Amino acid sequence: MTTLEGLAHGLLVALQPSILIYSLLGAVLGTLVGVLPGIGAMAAITLLLPITYHISSEAALVMLAGVYYGAQYGGAVASILLRLPGTPQSAVTTLDGYPMAQQGRAGVALFTSMVSSFAGAMLGILILVVLSGWLAGMATSFGAADYAAMMVMGLVAASTIGNSRPVKSLAMVVVGLIAGCIGTDVNSGVQRLTFGQTQLLDGINLVALAMGLFGVAEVIANIQGADRHGPPSRVSLRQLIPTRDDVRRMVGPILRGTGLGGLFGALPGTGSTISSFLAYGLERRIARKPERFGNGAIEGVAAPESANNSASITAFVPTLTLGIPGDPIMALMLGALVIHGIQPGPTLLTSHPDMFWGLVVSFGIGNLFLLVLNLPLIGIWVSILRIPFRWLYPAIIVFICLGVYSVRGSTFDIFMVGGIGITGYALTRAAFSPALLLLGFVLGPLIETNLRRAMLVSRGDAMIFLERPVACAFVVATVLLLIWPVVKRIIPKR
Amino acid sequence: MIGNFKHIGIATVAATLLAQGAAHAQDWPSEPVHVFVGFPAGSSPDTIARLVAEPLSQALGQPVVVENKPGAGGVIGVQQMLSQADTGHSFGVTINGPLTTSQRLVPDLSYETASDIAPVALIATSPLALTVPADFPADDAAAFIEEAKANPGDIAYGSVGQGSGAHLTAELFADAAGIELFHIPFQSYAEVTTSMLAGEIDAGFMAPSAALPFVEAGQLKMLGLTSAKPFPQAPDVPVLAGQAGIPDDFRAELWNAFIAPAGTDPAIIERLNTEINTILADEALQQKLLATGWNVAPGTTADLAARIEADTALWGKAIDLVEAKDQ
Repeated sequence: MTTLEGLAHGLLVALQPSILIYSLLGAVLGTLVGVLPGIGAMAAITLLLPITYHISSEAALVMLAGVYYGAQYGGAVASILLRLPGTPQSAVTTLDGYPMAQQGRAGVALFTSMVSSFAGAMLGILILVVLSGWLAGMATSFGAADYAAMMVMGLVAASTIGNSRPVKSLAMVVVGLIAGCIGTDVNSGVQRLTFGQTQLLDGINLVALAMGLFGVAEVIANIQGADRHGPPSRVSLRQLIPTRDDVRRMVGPILRGTGLGGLFGALPGTGSTISSFLAYGLERRIARKPERFGNGAIEGVAAPESANNSASITAFVPTLTLGIPGDPIMALMLGALVIHGIQPGPTLLTSHPDMFWGLVVSFGIGNLFLLVLNLPLIGIWVSILRIPFRWLYPAIIVFICLGVYSVRGSTFDIFMVGGIGITGYALTRAAFSPALLLLGFVLGPLIETNLRRAMLVSRGDAMIFLERPVACAFVVATVLLLIWPVVKRIIPKR
Repeated sequence: MIGNFKHIGIATVAATLLAQGAAHAQDWPSEPVHVFVGFPAGSSPDTIARLVAEPLSQALGQPVVVENKPGAGGVIGVQQMLSQADTGHSFGVTINGPLTTSQRLVPDLSYETASDIAPVALIATSPLALTVPADFPADDAAAFIEEAKANPGDIAYGSVGQGSGAHLTAELFADAAGIELFHIPFQSYAEVTTSMLAGEIDAGFMAPSAALPFVEAGQLKMLGLTSAKPFPQAPDVPVLAGQAGIPDDFRAELWNAFIAPAGTDPAIIERLNTEINTILADEALQQKLLATGWNVAPGTTADLAARIEADTALWGKAIDLVEAKDQ
């Protein structure tokens, strides 16, 4: 089946009324859980899983996929309006989205996030259709050394995000790396920093960390009344429209964010949280005036939102073409397929073309629907700010607790999110950047396991990082990134 | 004030009596039954629990609620089951690890399998398959062993973690075959597969269901199974036992079982065992389980107890081997 035949065939599948309804249902539900702080796609998909046993496999998959990419849209809403990320993927969107809202540009920020999300997803679909074969090949040729080198570069490149002093930035990254060490060491089985707690054997829950650092900390800050957001006004249609300057600034970040997200989504184990951080870091690196970031730069909203949406689409490449899930949510979706007797693997595309192409077309329909649904909703979202604090913040705490609990049904995690929240508040007060802690936490374990795995594979020969072309390219790029600031100083300014 | 406390006291006593009363077999179950699973939704223990829970709920006339309490290789699920107050309505579905190896591998484990767990019924078993990339220079177990003997310690294999079934099975196999293999731990079969396809590692003991799609695509080969009998999902793959000097009784299987906290009324356990065995006799359910990589294994509570004891000894030996290597 050629690509065009496949798409035509997929259109027939995706436009069946029942499939269409499940797809839209999933997308709407995804947006909703994405908006609610702490409750993410994982929780919703877990709840929906038993239902999928009773509907067709195509309907089940398009619905669960709708939740997955729909959540990426919703996640930014609370990030921008309340500095409370709806999902870990949009935590980095708080850095510039919230300042924009404070400057009275909440409507523009939300519009930018929706349009970036849509563009990222649509271009992601294009990448999926045109390059899926190439991406799948890349996913299976990437070795541990390549992953390790790539993640080190990512850490170095993104470590300038947040506007704190270099020493404080470094401290936060290190704390994040240490937090990432908590749990059972993959290589030796040794318990690290668990203090005898069985609940910590698998490490800190990412949702608890993100929601504690950003969500609970923000709520505490507001109890103090330190930074109340200004009185929100009704958002007219005109206030949504970005200026010509905004549009000019958005295009580049969206394209780069999409590319980065598309690449990371297709690599199993990396995914959308990392890609949104790195897309933000990249924009800041290449910006002519990096000091604009953190103060309401529109690029800081466009880049991460396009990246995480693009990643959420290309994440289906290894899942569907190889049967290799890139993250726990993808593993859940594969579980849903297995129940229907479909064994995901390299032959899925040829044995179930209906499902593959139907799903691809449903991505397009679902995202179009999400854009049409969300743009008019912006005004309603902004009116959330009119809810008095005494109602809004207790409700947010409840949602955070629900969301954190839903990840693995653990009351321990609820206490964790409380403790992390207090820590996060203290860090923010002391002008540390919690985003960097989260970055270290997400990248640290990936770097460590892959570095040690690469050393095992090479039987202890570190040359593996220079012998493999991909790893070598990343090592060279990392070195260049590190020496560039020095070089820039030595070269006299013209 | 005192009056209020009296009321609370009476209420507590009444609640306790009710709870105890509920655990008697005659009118059991009088309320929804909870089944704790130590793995997330969509994982294979979860799928097995849900496939059994639905018909079980019909047979018992009460909802059977599957509760996912993932973590620590399934240990959290068992701990959660044990921490529930209403014995008689709290059960668990677990993979073998938390009952057979966690005692050795998890420090300060809060329960003892022998004294805290009451076996109810074995549900299903799965062998592991010795799997290699398609271009590996061996097409059967004998050739694999020969290759390993020619290059001691050179063959790197992936497992799903230090102390996992895949790791311990490989060590038992290497010991039985008299060869030396090089262990590289991963976190999932998906990672082991990717690494094998990328040419980083040479082998792995994989769940047949995880390896099969790649075998069909001509990317991986399965050389032998660790079960005593051939596995219906991969009928062409021979068993390792009895091949190329491997002892005839070589066996290392994963399984999932239905368990209860010790102290659960024996009549309730008997009833559950009967119901579960009836459910497992259903052809459609057997096919569904097989599609997810599991072969039904009906039996008595005593069968399960014997299985736990035998496997604790078997995996214990494997852990000894690993520990001896590390020193």
